[in-house]
Amino acid sequence: MTSAVTTATSPRTTGPTPSGRSGRLTPGGVPYALLLPAFVLYAMVVLYPTLSGAVYAFTDWTGRADGTNFVGWANFGEIFSDVAARSALRNSLIIAVSVTVVQTLVGLALALALHTSLVTRNVLRTLFFAPALLPPVIIAFLWTFILTPQGPLNTVLRGLGLDLLAQNWLGDSSLALWTVIGVVIWQSAGLTMVIYLAGLQGIPTELNESAALDGASWWQRTRLVTVPLLIPATTVAMSLTLISSLKLFDQVFAMTGGGPGYATETLSVIMYKEAFVSGRFGYSTAIALVLTMIVFAFTMVQLGALRRFDVDR
Amino acid sequence: MSPITSQSRFTPSRRALLLGGAGFGALTLAACGGFVNDDDGGGSGDESGSGDGGGTVTAYLSTEQNTGIEPLVEPFTADSGVELDITSVAVPDMNQQLAVQLSSGTAADIFRVSPGYSSNVAAGVLGSGGDLLDLSDAAWAASIDDGTRALSDVDGKTFAFPVARNSLVMAYNLAVFDELGLEPPTTWTELLEVCQALTDSGRTAISHGLSGGAIYLQFYVYILAGTLLYGPNPDLDAQMRAGETSFTDEPGWTEVFTKYLELRDKGYFTDGALGVSPDQAMQDLATGAAGMTVLSNSGLPALYEYSETGAEAFSILAMPAGDDADATLMPTAPDFLAVNAAAANPDGARALLEFLAEPANVETYASALAVLPGLDVGAQVDNPALEPVLPLVDAGRTVSYANYLWPNGDVQQTMLQSGQQLYADEITIADLLTQMDAEYAKGTP
Repeated sequence: MTSAVTTATSPRTTGPTPSGRSGRLTPGGVPYALLLPAFVLYAMVVLYPTLSGAVYAFTDWTGRADGTNFVGWANFGEIFSDVAARSALRNSLIIAVSVTVVQTLVGLALALALHTSLVTRNVLRTLFFAPALLPPVIIAFLWTFILTPQGPLNTVLRGLGLDLLAQNWLGDSSLALWTVIGVVIWQSAGLTMVIYLAGLQGIPTELNESAALDGASWWQRTRLVTVPLLIPATTVAMSLTLISSLKLFDQVFAMTGGGPGYATETLSVIMYKEAFVSGRFGYSTAIALVLTMIVFAFTMVQLGALRRFDVDR
Repeated sequence: MSPITSQSRFTPSRRALLLGGAGFGALTLAACGGFVNDDDGGGSGDESGSGDGGGTVTAYLSTEQNTGIEPLVEPFTADSGVELDITSVAVPDMNQQLAVQLSSGTAADIFRVSPGYSSNVAAGVLGSGGDLLDLSDAAWAASIDDGTRALSDVDGKTFAFPVARNSLVMAYNLAVFDELGLEPPTTWTELLEVCQALTDSGRTAISHGLSGGAIYLQFYVYILAGTLLYGPNPDLDAQMRAGETSFTDEPGWTEVFTKYLELRDKGYFTDGALGVSPDQAMQDLATGAAGMTVLSNSGLPALYEYSETGAEAFSILAMPAGDDADATLMPTAPDFLAVNAAAANPDGARALLEFLAEPANVETYASALAVLPGLDVGAQVDNPALEPVLPLVDAGRTVSYANYLWPNGDVQQTMLQSGQQLYADEITIADLLTQMDAEYAKGTP
């Protein structure tokens, strides 16, 4: 009887079956064979190049097919003895930490400030997010022009009588790295803001209202209710920022080329130079492998740390 | 509460998945196919390069070479029946891409190579690696002068065609010199006096842009080394290769960098040069904010673009390095084309070089770019901009760029990058020379 009712009430007599053999697929019955084309493509464009790259890291490959020799760990040893590579490693870590921390804080501050009933909030959100939509190289060229010694920024500073603040922003090796970091944060903070805005909109309003009824101040509600509930958004924002800042290339290459001297070299920049300027593809691949391991390790540590602070809604 | 459940996920039909997968695969394969140079060029494919050509020749040229060859493209096609498919990019980009193209089999039939061993895509490096066609039997090969031959040949085989010769010159703003009553300096002391007069007038004496790789730093080194080192001792390269001397041991190298820094210390270079781009430096000269700058003469057309009066606003001189005006040498460098050993149309490529070697075409190319003829075929340069330095050329008072016979491109790269540190006083001249010696010792890859 039950069976008859079921049949009568279901118009899809040829609908999905657990085995997925009918016209439509069900989550439990996806035929793995259908994944094969995608896996083959993925293997061709990701897995094979990655694994073969790991092999080339142990060779003196010059980019040409002939004359490649196995050199053991020599390339990795050179990374830690080469002055350019050491500077790049140090700079990459400085960039990763400072950009991740500052950009997250700035993005959070912007999101909190614009998650209000402010009339102009949508216009302001668009303005703050706009730089993230532009290509990094365009941003870099614009700022390079603005930051030249006789450029607009110094002209404005001198016009305001702030001559002491006018600097050789990209030509002074003690300033150049921080200038690049500032430009990166300026461009990307809007993206972090958007992630946090999405997180804020997912927090039930009754939690804050309840806390307010209990007498919590704005700061207490932010610190004890909002921020803990933003941990998932923080995880996403910080992970994306950390990864992108560790492999930072575009802005550095376009603004300073790694200079002056080695002041703004990053692992990605010397990886490019060693491969395409010096023709040392084996050494470059070793740098890429080290960069991959650093990104992996940092991301795992960060995810683990943030997970400890995650809260159950 | 979750807005998306497993039951509400999009469930495409199998047919859609299969079609989508097949389509994506086809697109990917098609895209991969785009990286393969499948243009047979219509040539014979005969690797010896003999035959009558025809079809299409792919060419990968620098932007300057493209400007020079532009008026010759149609005459060449009319003369030979060979079409030219030209791609042009800036030299640094070309140097970075060519090795990969050669490795992947996607390089053009004919392309620019650096002279000697000055980069990983230099004639010496690629020639010895088997990447270039041996052009020794070409008729024009006999017209290469000895200085150029040292940079185009490997083991007696000619691998590169000198399409032109560039020179390192000092350009100056005529209006500024006229206003201050200055004469072009012919000695180092006169140069310092002119610089001081320009500085006293509130201008930058020598506009200098070192941001983005310090490319222009090397020009001063080659100019000063040409007169101070290679003039008195033409065998210096051979001695350095033999290990008889080095950057550190040869006192002349220290003198070269000392004189370069003297210009900085006296305040003659652009203030904050490490943060100034080469383009900005040229603009300063064009606007009269600066009096002089050093550049390759192939860069003169770009300089002219910054001035409303174009070429009439400027003149050039051979930058002096010492106080004997007659001892001043002007660095010149061949600009090479070479033929891919795996060219799809080697006959067409050879035909192009033979066409470019004809005296009338040598003149056309050189005049279009304000450069010197590459081959010694009696071509006359018809470009007033070069007149001030032609007496030096006619008298044979030229010298190669110093780096062309250094064994690898990393010596130059180290000089440029660590040279920025030297300019910022973060390292000493001795430190820089030691680093250059270390790169030199690595030899040719």
